[in-house]
Amino acid sequence: MSRRSVCFVVLLLLAAPLCADAPGVYAITGGTVHPVSGGAIEKGVVIIRDGLIEAVGANVAIPPDATVIDVKGGHVYPGLIDAATSLGFVAAPRRRGFGGGGGGAPAAAPASQAPETSPAFLAVREAKLSDDDVEAKRATGVTTILTVPSSGIFNGQSVILNLGEGSMEARVIRAGATQQVSFTPRAAWTYPDSLMGVISYIKQSLLDAQQNAAALAIYNQNPAGNKRPDQSASADALAAVLRRDVPVVFVADSELAMRRAMAIANEFKLRYILSGARQGYRMANDLKSIPVLVSVKWPAAPASKEDKEEQPLRVIRDRQLAPTTPAVLQKSGVNFALVSGPAKSGEFIAGIRKAIENGLSSDDALRATTLAPARILGIDRQLGTLEKGKIANVVVSDKPIFDEKAKVTRVFIDGRETKLPSPEDTARRGAAAAADASPVEGTWRITVKTSTGDASITATLHVENGVVTGTFSGDRGSGSIRNGSIDGTTVEFTIAAKTETEATDWVFHGTVSGTNMNGTVSTNLGTFQFSGSKGQ
Amino acid sequence: MKKRAASSGRRAGVAVIAFFAAVAAFAQSRDSVVAIRDATILTVTKGKIEHGTVLIRGSKIAAVGPNDSVTVPAGAQVIDAAGKFVLPGIIDTHSHTGVDGSVNEISLPNTGMVRIGDVMTNEDVSAYRQLAGGTTTALVLHGSANPIGGQSQIVKWKWGHPVSEWPVVGAPRTIKFALGENPKSSNFRPPPGTPLQYPQTRMGVEEVIRKSFTDAKDYTARWDEYDARRKRGENPLPPRRDLLMETMADILRGNIDVHSHCYRADEIMMLLNLSDEMGFKVRELQHVLEGYKVAREIAAHGVGGGTFIDWWGYKAEAYDAIPYNVALMERAGVLTSVNSDSDELARHLNQDAAKAMKYGGLTEEEALRLCTINPAKQLRLDSRIGSIEVGKDADLAIWTGHPLSTYSRVESTFVEGEMLFDRQRDLQLRKDLAKEKSDRLKKEADDEAAKKKKDAAAAPAKKPEDTNE
Amino acid sequence: MSRRTIAITCAFFAGSLFGQSVIMNNPGKKPAVAIRNATIYPVTSAPIAHGTIVFDKGVITAVGANATIPAGAMIIDGTGLSVYPGLIDAGSQVGLQEMSSVAGTVDVAELGDINPNARAEVALNPHSNVIPVTRVNGITTAVVEPEGGMISGSSALVQLAGWTPAEMTLKAPLAMHIHFPRIRTGGGFDEQPQDEEAEKEARKTYTKNVDKLRDTFRDAQAYAKAAAAKSRRFDRDVMLEALVPVVEGRVPVVMHANLERDIRAALKFADEFKLKVILADGEDVARVIPDLKSRNIPVILGPILALPTHEDDPYDLLFTNAKALLDAGVPFAIQSADAHNARNLPYHAAACAAFGLPKDAALKSITINPAQIFGVADRVGSLEVGKLANVIVTDGDPLEIVTHVKRLFIGGEDIPLDSYQTLLYDKFSKRP
Repeated sequence: MSRRSVCFVVLLLLAAPLCADAPGVYAITGGTVHPVSGGAIEKGVVIIRDGLIEAVGANVAIPPDATVIDVKGGHVYPGLIDAATSLGFVAAPRRRGFGGGGGGAPAAAPASQAPETSPAFLAVREAKLSDDDVEAKRATGVTTILTVPSSGIFNGQSVILNLGEGSMEARVIRAGATQQVSFTPRAAWTYPDSLMGVISYIKQSLLDAQQNAAALAIYNQNPAGNKRPDQSASADALAAVLRRDVPVVFVADSELAMRRAMAIANEFKLRYILSGARQGYRMANDLKSIPVLVSVKWPAAPASKEDKEEQPLRVIRDRQLAPTTPAVLQKSGVNFALVSGPAKSGEFIAGIRKAIENGLSSDDALRATTLAPARILGIDRQLGTLEKGKIANVVVSDKPIFDEKAKVTRVFIDGRETKLPSPEDTARRGAAAAADASPVEGTWRITVKTSTGDASITATLHVENGVVTGTFSGDRGSGSIRNGSIDGTTVEFTIAAKTETEATDWVFHGTVSGTNMNGTVSTNLGTFQFSGSKGQ
Repeated sequence: MKKRAASSGRRAGVAVIAFFAAVAAFAQSRDSVVAIRDATILTVTKGKIEHGTVLIRGSKIAAVGPNDSVTVPAGAQVIDAAGKFVLPGIIDTHSHTGVDGSVNEISLPNTGMVRIGDVMTNEDVSAYRQLAGGTTTALVLHGSANPIGGQSQIVKWKWGHPVSEWPVVGAPRTIKFALGENPKSSNFRPPPGTPLQYPQTRMGVEEVIRKSFTDAKDYTARWDEYDARRKRGENPLPPRRDLLMETMADILRGNIDVHSHCYRADEIMMLLNLSDEMGFKVRELQHVLEGYKVAREIAAHGVGGGTFIDWWGYKAEAYDAIPYNVALMERAGVLTSVNSDSDELARHLNQDAAKAMKYGGLTEEEALRLCTINPAKQLRLDSRIGSIEVGKDADLAIWTGHPLSTYSRVESTFVEGEMLFDRQRDLQLRKDLAKEKSDRLKKEADDEAAKKKKDAAAAPAKKPEDTNE
Repeated sequence: MSRRTIAITCAFFAGSLFGQSVIMNNPGKKPAVAIRNATIYPVTSAPIAHGTIVFDKGVITAVGANATIPAGAMIIDGTGLSVYPGLIDAGSQVGLQEMSSVAGTVDVAELGDINPNARAEVALNPHSNVIPVTRVNGITTAVVEPEGGMISGSSALVQLAGWTPAEMTLKAPLAMHIHFPRIRTGGGFDEQPQDEEAEKEARKTYTKNVDKLRDTFRDAQAYAKAAAAKSRRFDRDVMLEALVPVVEGRVPVVMHANLERDIRAALKFADEFKLKVILADGEDVARVIPDLKSRNIPVILGPILALPTHEDDPYDLLFTNAKALLDAGVPFAIQSADAHNARNLPYHAAACAAFGLPKDAALKSITINPAQIFGVADRVGSLEVGKLANVIVTDGDPLEIVTHVKRLFIGGEDIPLDSYQTLLYDKFSKRP
């Protein structure tokens, strides 16, 4: 067996990282190829060499040095492009705005770990992409993302990168691709803390950049006799925007927000893109000449029936119509792509599927996650289709990629196959999530060390919506748990403990660790230690 | 029931189409004619016309007069208003309805660069509910957190229209000033860790205003110098364009009207004196609860007063408020209006007007002016609104009885000739919308149930490691 | 000057800001008074044109077309005027606060969730300037109630005239006021659901609160039992003691709840503890009428001039509740739920009449109805022989704003219609 074959076998059997010096020549065969630049090709072939696509077609000769990958009836796509994410940045906290007529007092904002941003902020330098994040994103078929923080007003200069293995330097496709602007007021008492303040702030910042650029131009021609203007990276970044060298991405979901963004962009004659756009269904005609990134984080309904009924019809209607936006925009000829926006990695494909359920064809959905975002971001000479000469970002799935049961089986980025999360990885992540859910749930056998001896109590605890309920029985009578609450792994609950003479409240304060619970019980006779364990 | 906001290019559900069909039935085109017949017409400026007719053509009032003096053209939509009253649309000079986000930019003592006009929304049902109370026009203001607040916006409650159509075209630019306890943060504190903000006394409030105008004069001088140098052929560095200073300079030029929140007599005098000294004009004092103490000074400055008539005692500066304030100011020659500062009160400003008859003995005519032509004058829109006269905008409401009676209510409200509220239509609409709501919720519930069923059917293939989401 | 003298001087000047503006007519005297030739509205019977009403020693002694006027009576010519019972506000904070933003003058809500032993009549200021201002529109009697937390305390029914709280108080404790916990998981201007975290928090807090309320009532029941048994000495608990008459059904609970799901939860709670309930606020009351009827629960509506909570609610929701209750035969009264503008009580009632409630029913909702609901109909609420002489003389319908109240009698005393506000009006009218 040749060395190439050995590496290939290793790859196949262990899903281990690639051998470092495997030559990058692959022939992907046996599946339906969806180049996007043209119709689907049954039993098509894609040839990858040295990071680029060498050939795509039905009757393509397979080079003798190629590693052949037979996808056995699977589907081969250009790697999906998610043109709006904040991967690698802590999300901004959701702050409820303060309202009121006269002089209301707003609440303090919680401390946030989201980055401080400005027009000079460089996502390429500051993004902290964990392996878990990248793998989880890749596993959905996305091979290229644009990322920029969501915090602040000028969120900074985004970076477009491939999600291959390696450093940022190797991944970058374009740094400083766009300047993003969000209409997010700051904490109370910090200008600007209102939406109208944010709008004025944006305009003043652009005016200042305009003035700064004009002043610098004059100064640089003739420094003598003139006061030296300030020079800042932020002013430079905004000057690039004013010169139309760099487009601005305005984050705007509602029709009102989009129109406000358009007004600012028009006033300063900016090149711009709208991102979010979930009320696009209401104004498709007015979006015809604007590139639009539609976020697939569709509005969610509240959990309880009563809450749903208390919502206004306007909100319910919007929630049901928002997922029709992509189909409506498609029909109206709007240039749009589908993006995550604030959606988590796991929600991207499901969100696209919802758009398909609401009238967008899967072909149009594929285009909206490949060629369309590539064009909008200006990277379509390199990405977005399976065509000769483009970067070899290729994704294989066992079924059509937007099918509910489809699974991405192979991902190539820059012509190298990348690691997909193994079942162990998924289990580990899932267990971590499950552990968060309800460590307290279950039947606990508890021993309380009272001053008159041990008391055995069995407590069955049930956790739902953050509320602890349940029952107890044993040496102190039986009944319902009261005042149950949990906070992470700390649980508190009360029972009416009965003796021959009286019924008094015993208040349990416990900490759960795995299948053990330990803590104290407060009673009218004092505080005692208890320990408990959970059997299955 | 509320009407849903419309906008161009909108995807329509069945009920929405039905709604539009209903609206279309009511005079949509520019030249459509509506005749309101046989009502008692309270023109406000030209007396009361019993058994009168108002003829509306397009967005304007085309004719007003006794029934037989007004010819109703063929094809007009005729509304029989026998036994009913017609009043001009009520004008509220103090509103915070329809603002997206906070009404206060609280962070600085002078936030004159922010604009309420940038953040109006057409989805605030309070606007519709005000139409149901006969109110058609409002001055929507920044809040009173700062001595100088943001620029305000005069709008008509054009429910169902895109929000871009709500601002009154050609209306004066206006700005909010605030004096007294609110701008000096007497009644609220920033959270721990955030420093107290200047000003904290009425002295500081005055200084903020004085300094802002002083700085504005310097700003204007800088730009004048720059222009002069350029005219001389020089190429100087341009000064900073500052949106706040431009606003202040515009006030000095008389391009922006000041409407100032104020309470105590002494701070009223402060502002009047400062306006003389710095050269700016105060158009209207608002709240002005102690206006009666210095009514003649206010009148001498040609400044108006807009107030709510019987709120008092909620703050120290409101303790001397008396409901006779309106009458005393009126008698002293102050152009006086009643306004709301409340989504709720804005629905029945006719009642505040009536209170001026009880407290202080204003006549019926004087009372009606308080919520119609007087605020129109304070907004310098009295050539277009505030009374029922030929040529004015057809902003009016049909009432079941005299508007100054507590037993009356509004049947229909017109804004520029379009019937944007009608009680009979509202009664039907609420049924339609309740049905649409339950249909939509049912569809959602059915879809969810179907999905659960599908998932359960597919479930058996689950592997042990798979986790429960 | 000694410090003590300074302190007293300061107190005197401070005190003289308040309450000195109104000098009573004939203080302390309840002479015989006859109002003659007026249109009399007894409320519990048909209006009497050209009627006469007589009262003496604080009590109504005659009402009719031809009542005999005792010798020496002060005679008021009622030609062209109307006579009504003094209006009753079924829920207010009159006398409990002077300047809302100045904590030193506000005694409305005690700290904490559970304050059954807070009593409104204890904090009532008989010399509050709010009282004369309230009387101006004919309100002679009011329920003064605490707010805040879940169990706010007990209210008192008071006459709006008196030199001490005891002189004013007609009945106390009147009712125990409970603000049933509300669950609001939606929020914000656009009513999008809060994120999952916040929703869970809201639900957790709600459950905790209801449990706390339930525990308190269980404790109160246990306490009541122990107190009744008198079998063993136990330490007294003033808080639980205040609830004993409530759990024993002797003092009613005014249960404050607005939204349908809160009202239902509150009624369920009341069933559990067999409480005698009066529902107050009641925005969604029209949706729970069968539940009210089956339990014989009367309702206190108000404020009427207020906005509905939900965007989809009809604009007239609060105006039409009274008619719905009238049609269903559920007894109701109207409250201002205010202090400084409790004087607008009649216009809240009029708003209901503008939307279908017959005018006489509107008048009843602020006279005889609250009297009946609170069990004082033998003393106030209508112009009937034997009742307290709470009488107003007007130049028209008191539910119309343009009407003036000309004379006001509380318990037979002639009360002037002056107030701090008329004093200022006078003073500044005379500015040279």
